[in-house]
Amino acid sequence: MTEADEIQGTTAGLEFEDQDLLRSIEDSGVAFRVVSTLLGLVILTAWVIFGRQILLGLGVTGLNQPVAWGFYIVNFVFFIGISHAGTLISAILRLSQAEWRRPITRMAEVITVVVLAIGAFHPVLDLGRPDRALNIFTAGRLQSPLLWDVSSISAYFTASTVYLYIPMIPDIALLRDRGVRPRWLYTFLAWGWQGTPRQQAVLERAVSILMVLVIPIAISVHTVISYIFAMTLQPGWHSTIFGPYFVVGAIFSGIAALMMVMIVMRRVFHLERYLKQVHFDYLSRLLLIMSLLWIYFTFSEYLTAFFGNEPSEMRVFYYKITGPYAPFFWSMVAANFLVPVGILSFRRTRTIPGIFIASASVVVGMWLERLNIVVPSLANPRLPLPTGYYIPSLVEWVMFAGGFATFMLGFVIFARFFPLISVWEIQEGRKLSVAETTERLEGYLPDPVPSSAAQSATERG
Amino acid sequence: MSRWGMVIDLDRCTGCGACMAACHQENNLPAAGPEESSRDRAFHWLRLLPEVSGSGAEVKVRYVPQPCVHCDDPPCVRVCPVHATYLSEEGIVAQIYSRCIGCRYCMAACPYNAKVFNWYEPEWPGDLKRSTNPDVSLRPKGVVEKCTFCHHRVVKAREETRAAGREMRDGDVTPACAESCPAGAIVFGDLDDPTSRVSEMTRNPRAFRLLADLGTKPKVYYLAERD
Amino acid sequence: MERQPEPKWIYGLQIASVSMIWVFVLSISLWILHLLRLSRRLNDVPSASIGISIVAIPVFLAGAAILTYVFVGLRRGRTAPSESIIEPEEG
Repeated sequence: MTEADEIQGTTAGLEFEDQDLLRSIEDSGVAFRVVSTLLGLVILTAWVIFGRQILLGLGVTGLNQPVAWGFYIVNFVFFIGISHAGTLISAILRLSQAEWRRPITRMAEVITVVVLAIGAFHPVLDLGRPDRALNIFTAGRLQSPLLWDVSSISAYFTASTVYLYIPMIPDIALLRDRGVRPRWLYTFLAWGWQGTPRQQAVLERAVSILMVLVIPIAISVHTVISYIFAMTLQPGWHSTIFGPYFVVGAIFSGIAALMMVMIVMRRVFHLERYLKQVHFDYLSRLLLIMSLLWIYFTFSEYLTAFFGNEPSEMRVFYYKITGPYAPFFWSMVAANFLVPVGILSFRRTRTIPGIFIASASVVVGMWLERLNIVVPSLANPRLPLPTGYYIPSLVEWVMFAGGFATFMLGFVIFARFFPLISVWEIQEGRKLSVAETTERLEGYLPDPVPSSAAQSATERG
Repeated sequence: MSRWGMVIDLDRCTGCGACMAACHQENNLPAAGPEESSRDRAFHWLRLLPEVSGSGAEVKVRYVPQPCVHCDDPPCVRVCPVHATYLSEEGIVAQIYSRCIGCRYCMAACPYNAKVFNWYEPEWPGDLKRSTNPDVSLRPKGVVEKCTFCHHRVVKAREETRAAGREMRDGDVTPACAESCPAGAIVFGDLDDPTSRVSEMTRNPRAFRLLADLGTKPKVYYLAERD
Repeated sequence: MERQPEPKWIYGLQIASVSMIWVFVLSISLWILHLLRLSRRLNDVPSASIGISIVAIPVFLAGAAILTYVFVGLRRGRTAPSESIIEPEEG
C-alpha cells in the first residue's frame, strides 16, 4: 500500500480525525432547510420586485436626470470588489507558500465565485431594457469600457471556478468513497481521482499554473471596472489613480468579507480547531496594511483634486467634504481607517470579536466608498445646472437585500455539498509541512563557513 | 456632404423659451407630470441653462438655450456598448432607440448632460397622442433619447432637393427651435460651407463654445453678449 | 480497499462536460473575433479591440486547456498495478 493510498484509506472509513469538516455535509439537519427557505423567500421577493421593475420601467428606482446611476452600479462595484477576497488572496497565499493558508483558501474561493456571479448580474438590473441585454453579444463594441468588463469578468469567473474546482477534486473523491449522497454527483465530479502519485503530480501542476494565471486576471477585473468611471471626462472620475485605487479597495473589502465569513462559519460549524487565532491574526495584519494603503490612495486622490482647484472638480470635492455627502464621506473614512486601525493595531483588541467588528466596519466603509464615487460626480454637472440629489427607493433596497441573500444562499448550498475547509490540504499539511518548512527555513540561514575561508579568517584574526 | 451646426446669438436671445416649447411639440416629448418633475425627471432635449452673474445687488440672471451640442468627438459615442449612439456622416450625434439597452453610460459620460432617459412608458393624457408629430417616432420606456438637430427635417429636405434634382445646401433645413425663435437668435446651417451664415457667424470674435477646453469639438456655437 | 468502478453513463457525462467547456471557450473566442470584425466595420478605435482580444482569447483557452489536462491526467493516472507505483512526490 502506498502513502497516497494510506491517506485515502484512513479517511474513507467512517471515523477519522477531520470528520468535523464533513459534518455540514453528512448530517445537514433541519437548520439547512430552514435557513435556505428563508433566504429563498428573500430572493423570490427580489425577483418579483425586479419583474415589476421590468414591467413598469426604471422609474420605480430613485434615479433621476443628473444622477442616472445609483445603487445598482454602486452594488455592482461593491460586490465585484468583495469577490477579490477569494481567488486573489488564495492564489497569493499559495504562491508565497504561506503554510497557514490551508484552512482559508477554500472559503475564499467560494466567496469569489458566488459573489462574482451576483456582481456580474447587477448591470442587468440597471438596464432600462434588460430584454435587449443580448445586444451586447450581437452588436457589442469592444471600444466601450462596458465590453472590457464583460470580457474580463467572464474570464475571471471561468478562471476562478476552475481554480475552485480543481483543488477540490480530492475532497470530492473522499465524499464519493464515503458513500455520501448524492453519490452520482460526487462520482461525476471526482473525475476518477484515486490519489495515485501521478494524479497528485497532475493536480499540483495544474494548481500552480492556475494560481499564476488567476492573479493578473483578478487585478484586471477591478482595474477595468474603475475604467468605466475613469474613461469618462467627469470630474471626480477622470483620474489615472482609479485603477490601482479600485484594486486596493477590492482586496481590502475582500479580506474583510472573508474574515467575517470565516468567523461566522467557525461558530456555526464549530471549526475552532481549524480556524485558530493565528489565522485571524495574520489575516488582520493584511487587513491593517490594506487599510493604510487605502487611506494613502484616498489622500492622494483628494489632495490632487483639491490642490488643482479646478472649478468642476471642486464642486464634487466640496459636495463630499462639507456638502450633502459629508456624512457618508467622513463615516467612510472612519469605517475604513479609524476603526480597523484602532482595533487591529493593538493585541488586546485583536480578538475574534474585535476582528469581526473591524471587518464589518470595513465592508460597510467600502460600500460607502463606492457610493461616494458614483453619486457625487453625477450630481454635480459641469454646466450650471442645479445640483442633483439621489434617494434610493424601496425597490433598490429590496434588490440589495436580494443580492446579499443570494450570496448567503450560495454559500450555504456550497457548504451543504462540499467541505468548506480543504480536507486533503489539511492532511497534507499535517503530514508534510513541518518537515518541508524546516527544510525551507534551513535554506534561509547563511551557509556554513567553507573550511578554507574559515582558515583565512582565523589567520587574519 | 453638409456638416450641420448651430449658432445661438445670446445678444438676441430674450430667454422666452419658445425654442424649448417648439422642441417639445416637434419631437413628441411627453410632458412629465408635476410629481415626476419634482423628482428631477423633467424631459427636455433643449433646455434653458440658467446663468447667474454678478453679486450683491447687481445679480443678473439670464437663460442660455442649450440643445445637444453635437460634438465632433462625442464622449457618449465612445462609451456606448452597443452602437446605439453614433456620429452620422453629417455630424449629427444620433440615437437608435430600437437598439439602446438603457445602460445610461452615455448619460454618465456626457459632460453637457444633453441626454435624457425614459424612466416610465411615456404618457399622453387625453387625446394628446393624436396630436403627435407623425415624422418623429415615439420612444418606448427604458431608452435614452436626445436632440437630433431635427433629423427628420434633414431627411425630408434631402428628399425634396433630390426630387428637385439639385444638391442640398445651406438654408434647406431649419430645426423647430430655430424656426420658432421670435428674435431670430438661433441660426442653423452647414459649417463646411464657408459662405453659409453659420460659418460666417462662427468667425465672429464673440463666438464661443460650451466647455470647448474638453476637446469634444461641439458644433453648437454661441455669440457672447455685447457689453 | 474496494472501490466501485464508475458507471459508463457517468463517464459519458464527464466527457460531455469537458467538451462543453471547449464549446463555451471556443464560442467566446469566436464572439470576440466577431466583435473585432464589427469594430472594423464601425471604424472604432482598433487598438482597444485588438488589445482585448489578444489578452482575453488566450486566457479562456488556457483555462480550458488546464481543465482538459487535469481530466486526461487523472484518467491516465488511475491505479496502475500497485508495484509500479514508486514513492509519491513530496509536497
